[in-house]
Amino acid sequence: MPIWLELLVLMLLAYMAGLAIGWAIWGHGSVENDGNG
Amino acid sequence: MAELVQENWVVLVLALLVGLFVAWWVFVASRRTRVEIQRGDEGPAKRNQALIDAAPVARAVDIPPPTPMGLAGVGEAVQAAAEPVHAAAPSGDDLTRIKGLGPKLADQLRGLGVTSFAQIAAWDDAEIDRIDAQLGRFQGRIRRDDWPAQANLLAAGDTEGYEAKFGKL
Repeated sequence: MPIWLELLVLMLLAYMAGLAIGWAIWGHGSVENDGNG
Repeated sequence: MAELVQENWVVLVLALLVGLFVAWWVFVASRRTRVEIQRGDEGPAKRNQALIDAAPVARAVDIPPPTPMGLAGVGEAVQAAAEPVHAAAPSGDDLTRIKGLGPKLADQLRGLGVTSFAQIAAWDDAEIDRIDAQLGRFQGRIRRDDWPAQANLLAAGDTEGYEAKFGKL
């Protein structure tokens, strides 16, 4: 596997991890616990 | 693999931050519709007594039951349905025709028992003061926009005179 592909996969994984963390923080979009106002 | 991560951790952290930002954008920033739950300090909603007291707009139409004669009776049913339904005429005038008097003020006035132009036209200074004091943040509107004069012309149906003095209706 070429190194750039490995790097691309790692970046995608990091990106998806960021999405997952964001979802965990802000993604619970019910009215009751939408603590943002 | 470990070396690759060590060498490029900055890029990976950036990718993670981009993912976080996208998630924030999707879940927070682009959410334009907000539902606000009002914890009621005002008690339950008041029932609209005027609506309850009002005569029903439509009345039931008696449709003759089907008979062995086939379509006999259909004519009467059609005729009954075709008769104009006399809806209860709205009481009073459309006060919002007065300039400077919007739907909210009209509602307030209705609550105070003012429903017609003639009533407003008949206000004297004392009455204006009395009503004005109950208009909350709209205080001063009556004299500013000269409601009695407007109402006087509207009550008389003098559209030309009204438009000459107060502008187009």
